[in-house]
Amino acid sequence: MLGITFITFSLAKALPGDPVYSMVGERSSPEIIEKIRREIGADKSILRQYGGYLLLLSQGELGRSYYTNRKVADDIRIKAPQTFRLAFTAMLIAVPAGLLLGLFAALSRMPWTDRVISGISVLGLSLPVFWSGLMLMLFFSLRMKLLPPSGTGGLKYLLLPAMTLALPALSTLARVTRVSVLDSRDMPYIRTARAKGLREIRIIVVHIMRTALIPVVTVIGLDFGSYLSGAVLTETIFGWDGIGRFAMEGIIKRDYPVIMGCILISTLSFVLINMLVDLVYQYLDPRLRVN
Amino acid sequence: MFLRFVAYSAVFLFFTLLLSCSTESRPAGHVVYRLNADPTTLDPAYIVDVTGGSISAKLFNGLVRLDPELRVIPDIAQSWEVLDSGRTYVFHLRRDVSFSNGRAVTAEDFRYTFERVLSPMGRSPNTWVFDKVLGAKEYLTGNAGRIKGIEVRDSHTLGIRLEQPFAPFLQLLTMNAGYVVPQEEVERRGADFAVHPVGTGPFVLQDWKHNTELILLRNPSYFDDKAHVDGIRYRIIPEDLTAVTEFELGNIDLLAVPASEYSRFRSSKKWKELLSSARGINTYYVGFNCSRPPFNDPEMRKAVAGSLDREKILRTFYEGRGRLASGPVPDILRHWPAPVLPAYVPVTARVLTFARGCRKSVNTVINFYINADQEVVDIAEIIQSYLKAAGFQVVIRQLEWSAYKAAINNGEADMFWLSWWADYPDPENFLFPLFHSSNHGASGNRSRYTNKEVDRLIEAGQRSFDERERDKAYMKAEHIITAESPWVFMWHKTDFTLRQPYLHNYRIYPIYSIDKGTEVSF
Repeated sequence: MLGITFITFSLAKALPGDPVYSMVGERSSPEIIEKIRREIGADKSILRQYGGYLLLLSQGELGRSYYTNRKVADDIRIKAPQTFRLAFTAMLIAVPAGLLLGLFAALSRMPWTDRVISGISVLGLSLPVFWSGLMLMLFFSLRMKLLPPSGTGGLKYLLLPAMTLALPALSTLARVTRVSVLDSRDMPYIRTARAKGLREIRIIVVHIMRTALIPVVTVIGLDFGSYLSGAVLTETIFGWDGIGRFAMEGIIKRDYPVIMGCILISTLSFVLINMLVDLVYQYLDPRLRVN
Repeated sequence: MFLRFVAYSAVFLFFTLLLSCSTESRPAGHVVYRLNADPTTLDPAYIVDVTGGSISAKLFNGLVRLDPELRVIPDIAQSWEVLDSGRTYVFHLRRDVSFSNGRAVTAEDFRYTFERVLSPMGRSPNTWVFDKVLGAKEYLTGNAGRIKGIEVRDSHTLGIRLEQPFAPFLQLLTMNAGYVVPQEEVERRGADFAVHPVGTGPFVLQDWKHNTELILLRNPSYFDDKAHVDGIRYRIIPEDLTAVTEFELGNIDLLAVPASEYSRFRSSKKWKELLSSARGINTYYVGFNCSRPPFNDPEMRKAVAGSLDREKILRTFYEGRGRLASGPVPDILRHWPAPVLPAYVPVTARVLTFARGCRKSVNTVINFYINADQEVVDIAEIIQSYLKAAGFQVVIRQLEWSAYKAAINNGEADMFWLSWWADYPDPENFLFPLFHSSNHGASGNRSRYTNKEVDRLIEAGQRSFDERERDKAYMKAEHIITAESPWVFMWHKTDFTLRQPYLHNYRIYPIYSIDKGTEVSF
């Protein structure tokens, strides 16, 4: 984490641009610009600024936004749960749908089913979210008048952005599941299971799926982790108040405390998700268990 | 059978839950507006964005304000006198004005407000609004305990003395920074006053969910015409197309028409009658860096300016959403004959006319800086193609806003695209910050234009209280500027808004501070 703070801090400071120019508007005297620069500590050397930031972190603080003067930690406390809800709902849609589609494509005896599902998943992966998001909005909001186009709130606000986010994740999952089910279908232990006279459903669920799930869990972990860092486009299109939009606005305005806070939280959630994925691996594959 | 029943019931329940969800439930009697970004702050001393400015106009009042015809009219000051050849102003305040916490407003509150903007401990970017007041600079630098020029004569009389006469001073006082704030609330809330503002305006802030919505309620004890609606709900919708969808669904009542949707709404039978426009007080321009080659040569600047068919770009690409500029001063502020800009000279003739004079410069690469806005990128490419046809090599350098501002403020660009919007409706606001040699860089004069005669004329205009004399000075300054072409003067943008048919008495104003939100009704 310390390494991440150092890398992020250096990268943020290396970006061209100056937050003070955005803070003062279109008309300000050089004296005021200097004064504000001193106030936010931008006149000190980068190392001293970094030291100051670490000191702040050690006190459990993330600092205040240069622009709004609000505590970054307070804003993150409001936005992080929203991002988590969005990411979780997206995965709730993507995981069962992706698994079922992948399984169906792999096990179906009709070649056209496999082709149609593979086609859909390629399409889902290739469509940019700003397009698929707007199309979903056009259909479900403007035409069908079923869901509100934007806002942060309950389930009805959540569905459209979650569906938009779920589409690429679902497509990746379907593809990965299909390939790994196809791989494990012809393994000797499956033949053994069949020879033992087990029911087909038991063979699929217990024997094929359990092995096939290892690469699938990796993909789920990666997607969930990246959604927790915020889905900038989806959050912007649907006006969802999450970490992605917050971080993006921070980057555009060079609001360093906001950038740092968002990246720290994202890194933390990514590390946690990866730890979780490792635990799931050990459950799925006894060979991976330590001792 | 049972499974099928469960599945059908689930689908039925799901759609019943969602049905009629697309239209928003709205608080009764509230008008719903859209904002494209969360306001940075609602503390008037710190506001520099239009979003914050337009909301604060509904929460606060100053000594004076602007009427729809852009004249200065009484606000909390019911009358005033200008004495001492424009050096001293005496304001007589109304006695029936209270903050929304119930305390009456006195002259002392204005002294506190103005001192707070200039406080050496604060970091208000709006100090320039008051820096003409006598003793302001000493106070700002911490060399004085009070601002010498602000005098509370009695509880409802305020005297302001300037260092030297400044004709648009009353207009300066119409800006956000001049809105009166109560000391006790500012001190109680500290930095959080920005999100819990207390003012005197026709509305009070009820709730602010950052990045989602703001709700204002009618202030029943407002001293002037009270609002017709019960409140205003601002929804923060960053994406234009999403806002259009929300508008078409009737979830928002007013829409600033995005450029991409203008022609569709204008030609729509349903909407065209509901479209209203206001001639914005702004100037869009291509700025030249006049401090170094190649554009320190006026001939080179004129050659580039003459190579652009501004009228055609405005009519076709911009779909006529503006008025062709004749100079830096917007048409509605100019009370004198407009300068005549050189006509567009098509390529072959232009090469013959100009290339001889600046052949050496023509061969240099021109770095054209723009920000990352798609509309700006499109315009920059059009300009690049015109200039290419005229024999100039233009390289477009696209930067995102913060890096772009730093680059043009520091004079890194040869040429850049920018616009200037009025802080207050006076020609001075389009001359002094933009062309006076004391304002190079971040203060406004980003083209680093320097001309002693223009400086002198602008200063003379600032000091003169004779309208004719002032117009004469400004006219001369504008004619010299246009003749030397530090900019390509492109156009003055017109704003368009679309309202729902059930929204009445809505009017779009050229400056956001005029709109107190009291007239609009259902």
